[in-house]
Amino acid sequence: MGGKNEKPTFTRMKTGESTASSPHAQVMPLAFIRALEKRLVLQLKDFFLTMQEFFFFSVRAFMAFPKMIRYWRDVFDQATICGTDSIPIVLVSAISIGALLAIEVGNLLEDFGAKTMLGRSTALTVIRELGPLLMGLMLSARFGSRNGAELGAMQISEQIDALRAFGTDPIAKLVMPRLVAALIMFLPLTALSDFAGLQSAAYMAEHYHRIDPGIFWNAVYPRLVAKDFVVGFLKAPVFAIIITLVSSFNGFSARGGTAGVGRSTIKGIVVSSGLVLIANFYVSKIVLENM
Amino acid sequence: MIELRNVSLKYGEKEILKKVSLTVQDNTIKAILGPSGVGKSTILKLMLGLIKPNSGQVLVDGTDITGMKESSLYEIRRKMGMVFQGNALFDSLTISQNLGFFLRENMKLPEEEISRRVAEQVQFAGLEGYEDQLPESLSGGMRRRVAIGRALIFRPHMILFDEPTAGLDPVSSKKILSLISSLRHNNNLGAVIVTHIIDDVFNVADSVAVLYQGEIIFDDVTEKLHESEHQFIRSILSDKILEL
Repeated sequence: MGGKNEKPTFTRMKTGESTASSPHAQVMPLAFIRALEKRLVLQLKDFFLTMQEFFFFSVRAFMAFPKMIRYWRDVFDQATICGTDSIPIVLVSAISIGALLAIEVGNLLEDFGAKTMLGRSTALTVIRELGPLLMGLMLSARFGSRNGAELGAMQISEQIDALRAFGTDPIAKLVMPRLVAALIMFLPLTALSDFAGLQSAAYMAEHYHRIDPGIFWNAVYPRLVAKDFVVGFLKAPVFAIIITLVSSFNGFSARGGTAGVGRSTIKGIVVSSGLVLIANFYVSKIVLENM
Repeated sequence: MIELRNVSLKYGEKEILKKVSLTVQDNTIKAILGPSGVGKSTILKLMLGLIKPNSGQVLVDGTDITGMKESSLYEIRRKMGMVFQGNALFDSLTISQNLGFFLRENMKLPEEEISRRVAEQVQFAGLEGYEDQLPESLSGGMRRRVAIGRALIFRPHMILFDEPTAGLDPVSSKKILSLISSLRHNNNLGAVIVTHIIDDVFNVADSVAVLYQGEIIFDDVTEKLHESEHQFIRSILSDKILEL
């Protein structure tokens, strides 16, 4: 067993035809499996190395927080980019989903004769889930793609190496301000998203379902509890950390010219959007189970 | 002085440098000559501590920087100025902002002193009138001069040039080479020039190291290059530009 010159016998290729008669048929599957195994091992190794690099990258970004005062201009610039400049897209997505939710949920509740519950159901969905989630996805696309492309282009054109070469920590200069700005701005953006979503839902309730605004809002305000806001607003900093660090890390890892910048940007958006969706579920689950 | 002792480096399975040793003395210009993709720029990045070797030592003024933390390396790096192959200018900043960027970042100098040094470099690079322009509006030669000015503004002991004349027209190349020559004479600076153009070596370098297949096959004064019997050196002396 397992002798050096011992060739393993293989399964039949066709009925009645043994691979023993064809030496190539014996070698090829083995070579294929070995190549596959080697590739899998390399990919796993690469994955864990990337995870390790991402961990240290994130730690360095948080460790650079004391330099916030020194880079306050960069923080302010990034706050404008991820905050003020993102208001239109956050408003558009929140208004459209709030209106759509009111129409669909209203139709459903009508079947049960519970249309007056529209305010409550819409408020819970928007404040706990859809408001922060949509804001997260929109900012992942807008702020995350900008980070990935900008930092990727800087990496490709050796600007990040130049920062290091002349004695500036690129993570403190480029990543920390983005992270601080996102942590500050994602909270008011979540509030804005919730507010716009609820207002558009109230508008549709009044004009589509003919529900009196007093009845709608009366089902919203008195019934909302602290837990509902904690679930929604806790997601803002979690999404800020995920989107900023993932997109920046991918920008810093860009290799291979302009095509490489494109690849790293897409990877940043896909990974951060996926993580936002996963985090959205777990934050809700953890808070709702423990509060 | 910068010294590489038995430095080896691998990228994945590919061996880039094999036990490379070389020394760059202060106030001298050393060229590193070799074909494209052989690891010449890697040597510059090793000297700055931007990448770490798999084995061997890199010493800057006698200090081993191989195992140094990134934060400790910043002080060492300020002794050297680097001119990147693609210039690596910050494209959203004007020329004067690019020149003054690292002074504002890393040195606690009064704004008047920074402005004075920026004006000095603008004049040195012959870029008067372009101070408020963005790098994209300048020619390749002008951008290279801004990159040299940015490296000089720190008043380093040594400047590292990555392919200083690559992609430039003959007139701009000549200007850059004379600028490099003037650095040693006027500013008492040492320099390392990585190039694949042999004329650049004869024009400015005091000594030359030839890198071939990851190894240094020649390291001596430039004049002795003609005496080498190595087949690769004989071939590059006849071809002048390495396109291997």
